Amino acid sequence: MKAFVFTDESLRAEAGRFVWLAIDTDKEQNAPVQAKYPIDAWPTFLVVDPKDERVAMRWVGGATVGQLKKILDDGRLAVAGSPQGAVAAAPIDADSAFNRAEAHYAARDFGAAGKAYQEALRLSAPDWPRYARTVESLLFALARADDCATSVEVARGALPRLRETPSIMTVASTGLSCALASPATDPARVETIALFEKAAREAIANRSVRTAADDRSGVYAVLLDARKDAKDEAGAGKVAAEWARFLEDEAAGSATPEARAVFDSHRLSVYIEMGEPQRAIPMLQAAERDFPKDYNPPARLAVAYKEMKRWDEALAAADRAIALAYGPRLLRILGTRAEILLAKGDKAGARATLAKALAAAEGMPPGQRSDRTIAAVRKRLEGLD
Amino acid sequence: MSMLATVALLLALAPAQKAALPFIEDDYGRALAEARARNLPLFIEAWAPW
Repeated sequence: MKAFVFTDESLRAEAGRFVWLAIDTDKEQNAPVQAKYPIDAWPTFLVVDPKDERVAMRWVGGATVGQLKKILDDGRLAVAGSPQGAVAAAPIDADSAFNRAEAHYAARDFGAAGKAYQEALRLSAPDWPRYARTVESLLFALARADDCATSVEVARGALPRLRETPSIMTVASTGLSCALASPATDPARVETIALFEKAAREAIANRSVRTAADDRSGVYAVLLDARKDAKDEAGAGKVAAEWARFLEDEAAGSATPEARAVFDSHRLSVYIEMGEPQRAIPMLQAAERDFPKDYNPPARLAVAYKEMKRWDEALAAADRAIALAYGPRLLRILGTRAEILLAKGDKAGARATLAKALAAAEGMPPGQRSDRTIAAVRKRLEGLD
Repeated sequence: MSMLATVALLLALAPAQKAALPFIEDDYGRALAEARARNLPLFIEAWAPW
């Protein structure tokens, strides 16, 4: 978002309409903000009423410039309106149901939000302008409620209407992802996967839809899962190669090193999928030179070298990353370091590294501390005994 | 907040406003104070560097 959306000159007109705050949720100093405003996925945008610090509107995930402008318009209205009234009132039309859903969504009551968004869709006219936003937020609310079956139906219904909009990336990939998660005994499974796989293919091929490159990249990731699910090794290889070409073209066309580095994590993933992690080394070395204070390039180099079984270089890169890392991401890099040591045959070193990760996890402040993460690190540590 | 403090706050923010969107980085208290002083909604981008 920083490299591609927030820098867009057309947003300058919005500058004086809000006070703008960026919070790096990994920084310990921001833990109290995260405790106050819990985040479910990154990025998340909140519009807050400064009078009472109430979240008036929440948007989860990236957005195009056009989507962001609509989010800002709705955010202003949500601050000006009365959320309590919106929640209490029975919806009589799509907009009332939408406002009620938005109030629940802002408050992270995803179950109630999902029901109200569905009600809004049911009450909406065919040309209702909030349709796309409603579908995207509904799909996220359903994901939080682990309701993949309903997601498939919502996505299936939305495909024809959102085909020519940026929302098609979310709709096609969520539908396909949920279809892949359906049980093998589901008689409609194969047909549903085929429907969404076709939609996802059409979405990434449709260059007339302006969307963020990383959203398009995310669709490739699910398409790859679909070919793997079908045990189609050649097809998976073809998708991976196409995905890599797409990312390389996007990176090559980037105006700044920051914009180019946006694609590094996806490129590393696809090169690993292709069994060619060495292809990531030059770009990551360049990123480490360009951003010497950023832990991401050495952390990714550690992963790439680990895949290449070049343990000493992997360990050195992990240590460089650990020296720069902070917050919850430090735990993941320590986890990578432990895997490298274990692969090298240094069980005592791996144990010591995981013990350090456990201590760091337990020492996180409220807002960053995660019982689930602590349990996972402890389990890995106990697994070494 | 006093008028003097408000003016000082706005002056402190002035250089950042050259950007398309003048984000305040990692300072909730300062952003909230400015939003209250200017009677504007607060937009928060929660992100992580990975």
